[in-house]
Amino acid sequence: MIAELTKNERNGALVILAVLTVVGLVMAVAGYADPFGIHGGLVAIAALAGIFAVISGYFAPEPTLARFGEYYDTPSKIGIGLAMAWAVFGLFVGDWVAWLLAYPNATFDAGWSSFGRLRPVHTTGVIFGFGGNALIATSFHVMQRTCRARLPDQLTPLFVLFGYNLFCILAVTGYLMGLTQSKEYAEPEWYVDLWLVVVWVTYLVLYLRLLARRREPHIYVANWYYLAFIVVVAMLHVVNNLAVPISFYEAKSYSLFSGVQDAMTEWWYGHNAVAFFLTSGFLGMMYYYLPKRAGRPIFSYRMSIVSFWGITFFYMWAGSHHLHYTALPQWVQTLGMTFSLMLLIPSWGSAGNALLTLNGAWGRVRDDATLRFMMVAAVFYGLTTFEGSFMAIRSVNSLSHYTDWTIGHVHAGALGWVAMITFGSIYALVPWLWKREGMYSPRAVEVHFWLALGGTLVYVLAMWNSGIIQGLMWRTYNDSGTLAYSFVDSVVAMRPYYIARAIGGLMFLLGAIVGSWNIWMTVRMPAPVPADAGGDQPAIALQAGE
Amino acid sequence: MDIAHGTLVWLAKSFGLFYLIGLSLIVVIYACWPSNRQKFDRAATAILEEEDRPWQ
Amino acid sequence: MFGLHYRLERKAIGLVLGIMLVASIGGIVEIAPLFTIHQTVEDVPDMRVYTPLEVAGRNIYIREGCYACHSQMIRTLRDEVERYGPYSLAVESKYDHPMLWGSKRTGPDLARIGGKYSDEWHVAHLMDPRAVVPESVMPSYGWLARSDLRTDNLGRHLKALRTVGVPYTDEMIASASADAYGQTAPDTNFAAGVAKRYGEATNIRPFGATPNGGLTEMDALVAYLQILGRLTDAAHRPVGG
Ligand code: HEC
Repeated sequence: MIAELTKNERNGALVILAVLTVVGLVMAVAGYADPFGIHGGLVAIAALAGIFAVISGYFAPEPTLARFGEYYDTPSKIGIGLAMAWAVFGLFVGDWVAWLLAYPNATFDAGWSSFGRLRPVHTTGVIFGFGGNALIATSFHVMQRTCRARLPDQLTPLFVLFGYNLFCILAVTGYLMGLTQSKEYAEPEWYVDLWLVVVWVTYLVLYLRLLARRREPHIYVANWYYLAFIVVVAMLHVVNNLAVPISFYEAKSYSLFSGVQDAMTEWWYGHNAVAFFLTSGFLGMMYYYLPKRAGRPIFSYRMSIVSFWGITFFYMWAGSHHLHYTALPQWVQTLGMTFSLMLLIPSWGSAGNALLTLNGAWGRVRDDATLRFMMVAAVFYGLTTFEGSFMAIRSVNSLSHYTDWTIGHVHAGALGWVAMITFGSIYALVPWLWKREGMYSPRAVEVHFWLALGGTLVYVLAMWNSGIIQGLMWRTYNDSGTLAYSFVDSVVAMRPYYIARAIGGLMFLLGAIVGSWNIWMTVRMPAPVPADAGGDQPAIALQAGE
Repeated sequence: MDIAHGTLVWLAKSFGLFYLIGLSLIVVIYACWPSNRQKFDRAATAILEEEDRPWQ
Repeated sequence: MFGLHYRLERKAIGLVLGIMLVASIGGIVEIAPLFTIHQTVEDVPDMRVYTPLEVAGRNIYIREGCYACHSQMIRTLRDEVERYGPYSLAVESKYDHPMLWGSKRTGPDLARIGGKYSDEWHVAHLMDPRAVVPESVMPSYGWLARSDLRTDNLGRHLKALRTVGVPYTDEMIASASADAYGQTAPDTNFAAGVAKRYGEATNIRPFGATPNGGLTEMDALVAYLQILGRLTDAAHRPVGG
């Protein structure tokens, strides 16, 4: 990895890491009486480890100019490894908290291991750890291919990737120590948020620099989706996390917003995190890897463009459907509901586009588990967006809100759509990146597929059932006009579903482990001997670096 | 900072509607514009081409 | 060559700006009116602020992720009002930075839990929920009773809260740490100070009666639970009253 950096980049890396070490040490000293100090120590250790890595490769020969004849795929490779590691970790914690709802004592008598602290570890682990790394890794791959240009330099992509993972680690360790802003999906405290801003702006600038170098005048639509993911997540993140820390050497901060405003801001963020992190970015993945793997162009390019603007536009208004019948003004609720319904148009545009692309290649879908992952993802995407719009209707929401139905909906999206499209893309990508014939074990891909699909179905069906039962029990009256069930009655009724859900989650986790093993074995396979050695040389004279 | 709440709500409701219709129209027109057709068709098939290395 | 390059860059930047513009308008239109919402939020003079002990308890509630299982937002639905009490008003979370409305009810809503049970009930329940409610799936929070409450920086907490808009006075900030202790020590000068600064209605008593006499996190959490829904009476008054 270090050998691929130029001398200047190695020096640059050392400077960045040295600054980070100093920042970490200052944090550690100033915040010695607070968890803030522990995080400072963690930052310093991570930076020192980086310095050690750079120095140990510092005197390796510099890369030659021949690099400009190749794409730069090291960050994508590392990113895939990190994504799978986070997947296994995040899914494991998720399944643990699932079991805790059936066996609440299955944990340690200590703060870090209690349900309320583990739950955000799970959500952050899977969304930001697994999803985020997969997005970064694939975006680097896709944008280089569609721009027909190499990443502008070697250091920035690595900075983005490792910086982002530092963010994830600070977030997760923070929750275990009890550091959280309590804003769902935006739990990390102020300094962790600031670090993410630095990383994210670098990511955006990197993307723009690459676009500016592109050899292909038209920007392929997958890049639009990736770009929307980067740009809008930046906007959401900055606004929702505005907060005042109690001091610059303590972790705790207070949100700038309160009450209704805070609720609206949070769900504007929360819903659009779903839109731009968990949808837009992964649609980018779909619009590239699905046609590639199927060997057919996307069914309707126009539809993908219309869907793009539709999603960018409609989603922003839909957040308030999370707050039906609350103290939020009624007109905002109605607006949210209306736009949630309209969202169905661009969403089904994308799902239909994907399925119609496969139309005529069903034989391949049957034989190729990788393509099947992508197909199932598109189906779940269509189902989940339909369900989402349905649940945004006020009267439906009055039943579904606060229940497990929401959890079921989220997982239909997260497991069925996000994770499936990611696994499909990764299985397509790994052999391309490492130049292998195919995955080490196609059978294992098949096993993973069925574990993932089975796990998702068990999970989602269990939560639909429990959610609807729960919602009905809360609002059932008996003949004398009083509420029929106590709250605890509903808790008892949930138990079998919670166990089923935990089993579904376990299946999904096992699938991810099988997948990780398979990827590991693929990478370790001996590389095939290139057919004509001459092909390794770049064909045309190179222009020196920019 | 004392823009009346009512004004903002009114603006959101009226302007928002026109904005919605206008934007949808623009997008559909752009996507269907005849001279864009070739560009889009090419973009859709271009990614399937061999892509071993960057274009020089 | 320069011309082509320039055009390419312009296109990319244009795309970014387009995305930002299209995406932000929805947010602005929907959220901007809420920043003038004080014009619509009910004005209730009796709304009081959290005491330092309650702030500390609230932070423990946040830290332990109680909001992951409990909502604090009673919707305007008949069954909710009958189960939990009068529906929540916007004004009631006016000083909640951040709000804790929640999104999931694995456990019941807590918006009006204050005063529903005794302090002893809460302590026993938090120590081991299944000792009190056998079917419960709530986690045990035994370590809260073993952890001393950190009070030395409460002044900074109140100060930050004032920066974001909660009307704490200089005096409240200066005596924050003492007030946290005072609220659990009735019939002392410290307690008198709490009553003077935060009102006679403030709960002043040794929440949880910690064995070793010191202030624990359990005390603070119970103090917070006991104030939920009681910062104002607005929700209990007839509409328009
Ligand atoms: C895993 C989900 C979960 C978490 C986390 C959780 N609770 Fe609970 N809670 C429940 C359930 C289920 C009940 C209903 C059964 C019972 O009373 O124990 C409940 C009941 C309660 C009640 C009684 C409500 C009533 O009206 O009877 C209180 C008070 C309470 N919880 C406080 C807390 C506090 C404070 C925390 C955080 C320290 C917390 N809970 C964390 C699930 C949870």
